Amino acid sequence: MQTYPPAAAVAAVDLVKVYGTGDTAVRALDGVSVGFDRGRFTAIMGPSGSGKSTLMHCLAGLDTATTGQVLLGGTDLTTRSDRVLTKVRRERIGFVFQSFNLLPQLTAERNILLPLDLAGRRPDQEHLDRLVTTLGLAGRLGHRPSELSGGQQQRVALARALVTRPEVLFADEPTGNLDSRSGAEVLGLLRDSARDLGQTIVMVTHDPGAAAYADRVVLLADGRLAGEIHQPDIASVTDALQTLASAR
Amino acid sequence: MNAVLRTQLAGVARRPSRMLLTGLAILVASFVVYATVLAQQITVRSVLNGLSGTPEAVGLVVGNGEVDGDMLTAISALPGVAEAAGRVQIGSQVGGRYLNVSADPGRGPLSLVALASGRYPSAAGEIAITPRTAQLTGFAVGTSADLDPGTGTKVPVTVVGLVTARDDFGYDAYAPWTTVSALGAGERLNQIDVRLDPGADPDAVRSRIDALVAAAPADGRPEVATGADVRLAEARAASADVNSVFAVVGMFVAIAVAAAGLIAASTFRIVFAQRMRQLALLRAVGAGRGSTFRALATEGALTGLLTGLTGVLAALAVGHALPPLLRAAGFTVASPGFPVFRGIGTVLLAVVLTVVAVLAPAVSASRVAPLEALRSASTTGARTGIGVLRWIAGLLPLAGAVAVAAYVVANLPGADTENYEVMPMLLAVVLSGTLAFIALIALGPVLVRPVLALAGWPLRRLGPVGRLAVGGVGGSARRAAAVSVVVALGVTLVAGVLVGQASMRVLMERETAASAPADFDLTGGDGVTLPDGFAERAARSGELTRVTPYRRVSSVTVGDVDAPVTDVDTTALPRFADLDYHAGSASGLGSGKVVVARFVADLAGLTVGDTATVRGAKGPVPLVVIGVLSDMGPLHSGLLVTPEDLTRLGAPAAYSGILADAAHDGAEGRTEALRALRAVPAGDTAYSVDILADQRDQIESGLRMVLAVALGLIGLTVLIAVVGVGATTALSVVERARESGLLRAIGMSRGALRTMLTTESALYGVIGAVLGLALGVPYAWLALQAVGLNAPLALPGWQLAAAFVALVVLTALAGVFPARRAARVSPVSALGTE
Repeated sequence: MQTYPPAAAVAAVDLVKVYGTGDTAVRALDGVSVGFDRGRFTAIMGPSGSGKSTLMHCLAGLDTATTGQVLLGGTDLTTRSDRVLTKVRRERIGFVFQSFNLLPQLTAERNILLPLDLAGRRPDQEHLDRLVTTLGLAGRLGHRPSELSGGQQQRVALARALVTRPEVLFADEPTGNLDSRSGAEVLGLLRDSARDLGQTIVMVTHDPGAAAYADRVVLLADGRLAGEIHQPDIASVTDALQTLASAR
Repeated sequence: MNAVLRTQLAGVARRPSRMLLTGLAILVASFVVYATVLAQQITVRSVLNGLSGTPEAVGLVVGNGEVDGDMLTAISALPGVAEAAGRVQIGSQVGGRYLNVSADPGRGPLSLVALASGRYPSAAGEIAITPRTAQLTGFAVGTSADLDPGTGTKVPVTVVGLVTARDDFGYDAYAPWTTVSALGAGERLNQIDVRLDPGADPDAVRSRIDALVAAAPADGRPEVATGADVRLAEARAASADVNSVFAVVGMFVAIAVAAAGLIAASTFRIVFAQRMRQLALLRAVGAGRGSTFRALATEGALTGLLTGLTGVLAALAVGHALPPLLRAAGFTVASPGFPVFRGIGTVLLAVVLTVVAVLAPAVSASRVAPLEALRSASTTGARTGIGVLRWIAGLLPLAGAVAVAAYVVANLPGADTENYEVMPMLLAVVLSGTLAFIALIALGPVLVRPVLALAGWPLRRLGPVGRLAVGGVGGSARRAAAVSVVVALGVTLVAGVLVGQASMRVLMERETAASAPADFDLTGGDGVTLPDGFAERAARSGELTRVTPYRRVSSVTVGDVDAPVTDVDTTALPRFADLDYHAGSASGLGSGKVVVARFVADLAGLTVGDTATVRGAKGPVPLVVIGVLSDMGPLHSGLLVTPEDLTRLGAPAAYSGILADAAHDGAEGRTEALRALRAVPAGDTAYSVDILADQRDQIESGLRMVLAVALGLIGLTVLIAVVGVGATTALSVVERARESGLLRAIGMSRGALRTMLTTESALYGVIGAVLGLALGVPYAWLALQAVGLNAPLALPGWQLAAAFVALVVLTALAGVFPARRAARVSPVSALGTE
């Protein structure tokens, strides 16, 4: 059993996730132990079916693991009820999705404030103003999602994730639906919030270009940890992925 | 089968429950239609079985012409005739009360009555009465009374028995024909029922009677019919009543069917919208617009066939299971048959309705651009506005509705309007209402937002869940409008019935204030006065209160108007406060003053302040009109004056009657009071007690029954509306699984998500109820005015509020199940759905 430095904001310990039963059972995660350091931007990579999305869902309390532990700042999430997990998601975790997932009937501002509304908390106006300015959303707050470009929608989604000052921000293929310029913008913003604001970020991606923005890349294959790269660049990530693919 | 249809059907086969959901409203509608068919059959059969107007034993009937006692004697003597009974009825007065005396043999197979107690009359001057008659008159076996058969001379009669008859109206007496004949019917008969000897040849007897009858003069010659024919004709007449009742039921069922069509159209639109990407993909790979449309329309027809068949079979199962259960519980109910053709007709109706409902959604779905397939699903926002065509389709009927309504308002009857035709005006109101409703269907999406802004305001203040629910409904205004309009249809009908009923109630109260101001009325009939001491005796009874003696003269003249006059004290009985005055009032009624009924004022040309010259047995007496009643005066009088003025008009000093209320509440209090008042004449049957309270109760229970029946029938439409809300919520939930997933992912609890979705469902009810009330109340008022009854406009606030709340609760309940399902799904799988 390994121990992890207290610097880890969120960590998985011997995490196993099995889908289905009997012959059709699939071990999506097969004993993964990994920590994600506080204030750093980590990318999870791996071929399709390597279990990277499952890992993120378990870490974020969206899904429960079959065995093993998920530790969020010392809290064990694996044995918690749905009610507790809901509260954790609302107060300690932020999400950014591939397909933005904004509510079409709400304005950008109401979308951003949605998690605070659900928690019944008042927004910290200063924090909100800084977020809106940093993300370049000033003047767009009154618009509805259908009136915004893809990049703008994803920046609204990013603001929504950051408005609660979450301990960890999870991003699931955040640039998957964006053109390269908007994608680069969003990734730059993610990197800046880790670097300047000390925001812990965990991002799942299959794009080496996106992973290169991270401080560290964790590689997954067949539900197991398959190595990691510190201070990655496009070349080193591409090499590692090719090695993994040829090893199968 | 084309490729598009094959893919669509494969999709349906994978999720058959969704197809059922789409057609749920149609299923309920076809169930209701076929259940009505079966109910009619059950009712007709039960009625036919229970019909015994002419006894089974009657072989031949001679009637429909001049029939008399000689003919009865002659027929009785014919060979082959076992017995002949003469039927005749006379109307009479006993103690100021109407009594119908019918001739009946009293025993044997031709008798229509059965002896309950005492004996059947045999001697002259003996009668038997029905139980209800005994109850109302206070007569019992042994009571003697004077009977006035309309000739003016009183004949003493004695009650010797109680008999039960098929109909008991409370004024029925029976006696042998000789007695009825002696009472004043003479030799005249209405008809002769003939029983044949067993083994006699009916045709032979009939020809003998024919020969006998042929002697009668041609213009009054009676007809001879077989008992079977007469029974059949009576049964037909009875079932014609049933059929006309079911024609009204059919009208309500038709409204419910139309509502189901609207719901089906809306659900198809939602289902097709969910498949937009898939349809676009099919179009992108080369499916033509035509084949896409045909595939969708075929799917609609199949849905109609499936749900229609299910509905019919379900109705058949219930229709055949219910009568045995009812019979086991002691009711006489016949089982229905298997009306195959009407069953097929119902299924066809379901198919046609579904195809009509699917046309518009299929056309717009088949117009999907192939490019739609490449777009991300989340960016296709639902359109909230409406196009120019729809504006026109809404504003034109609206203009028509307003124009027709304006025409009705301009031609509303005044109090004096003569030759007023009710039907065309009522039809105009219905036409206007229908047009307004069509306008509502077209303009619905535009109306949803303002209504939502109003109704959603308190919800928004309740926090994010309420805000999201309001946003969710407002975000798909067209869908909300489509389902709310059907709810509105139900609420419009409910509101109309409630308002109509409340107004009729006020009208009835006014009328009973004049005709039945107290619980009891002790009188001796027109022109008869009460002996001294009656009023004092009644006043002494502890069972009676507000004992109010009055005098009434049946005829005085004002100008050339003939009217009854009374001096009853209108302050003595609280119910007189319900009297409605057209002008002025009765307060300040003093010597030299008069309150007149509307008809007197109209015919004599009197208004408040005029001096009326009234002539009675004495007179003339000049009286100043201080009030004009909207309707009849108290105790059906035309004028109300003070006692001294009535004396000046020549009225005798003795009282004409005594009004009194029961001192104690409840049925027992009333019975005791009745007993006490009946004791006042001390056995003198020239005076009788009218139970006015019964009149009021009958009107009240009649109104209540009409209300219950009407609400029950409207309930069909409400049921379909609620089913529609449930289906819409269920389909919306499926469609918005991603949204639910997202909300759960960013920290909405399961309970909050459930509350949000249930609230959305209830909001459909709120919007529908607001629109329905806005439409129903004014139209109910308009219809009431158009009927020309001078009915007041009543607004039954509590009842309407209860209907509103009930509908919102029902629609909320419709959303509970889909909401629970949505909340159970894990956020990960919800986010993963396309």
